[in-house]
Amino acid sequence: MKRSYVGVALLCAILMLNIIFTQYMVHQYFFENYKNTIIAAAVNVILFPVAIYIYKRDKKQDKGMKNHE
Amino acid sequence: MSDKNKKIPYDEDNYTHNINRNNERKLDRRGFMKTLVGAAGVFAVSSLPWGTLAAKELMGLGDKEYKHKKITDVKSIAIGDAVDFAFPGEHDSAILIRLSENHYVAYQNACTHLRCPVFWDKKEEEMICPCHHGKFDVKTGTPIAGPPRRPLPEIQVKVDKGAVYAVRVKRYEA
Ligand code: FES
Repeated sequence: MKRSYVGVALLCAILMLNIIFTQYMVHQYFFENYKNTIIAAAVNVILFPVAIYIYKRDKKQDKGMKNHE
Repeated sequence: MSDKNKKIPYDEDNYTHNINRNNERKLDRRGFMKTLVGAAGVFAVSSLPWGTLAAKELMGLGDKEYKHKKITDVKSIAIGDAVDFAFPGEHDSAILIRLSENHYVAYQNACTHLRCPVFWDKKEEEMICPCHHGKFDVKTGTPIAGPPRRPLPEIQVKVDKGAVYAVRVKRYEA
């Protein structure tokens, strides 16, 4: 397996975190712990650029690899 | 990438050249990652309304007092009976139960599972949600059976001059 699957694994982890925080957020909202709701929402939003970053990094690495082939 | 696709890899007498799918895996992985990023985006965007709602709730209308609202006359509700009303908004359906001479309890009766209206079962002395048989304790609003996990929001009531009024919605204790 020449290609690295680290990026895929990281993105999967992010998706998992997204799911967890979304559920937490909704529950905390109905429990009326609004601070926790906001924190969870912020985490969810921040995870998006992180995902983009991981994707871009992976793309770059891939290009580097192709040049060596 | 684009001009690579335009090239014909072999002379066209080779009818099996399209089995050669060396790069397909890579595209798969790339496409998969794209999907994952997109999913993260969807999650991010869909968190925004929750965040704003929570922020709104934090500022200002935190523990808001609503206009007191008359629910019913004491005369017209017998001990052990219940009446439906709406509080604080006209779509927030709620239920008032008279447990004894001077003991009233009121809850917003949207089930905390999937928001079916909870009703009062006089015989069993508990509040029952017909949708998935959730049950709530009538004294505290805590769920005692079935899928609901959160207590029903309690409404404070007060009796004044022969009528029952809804005062405010109690907050959950954090
Ligand atoms: S909606 Fe009340 S138990 Fe499911």
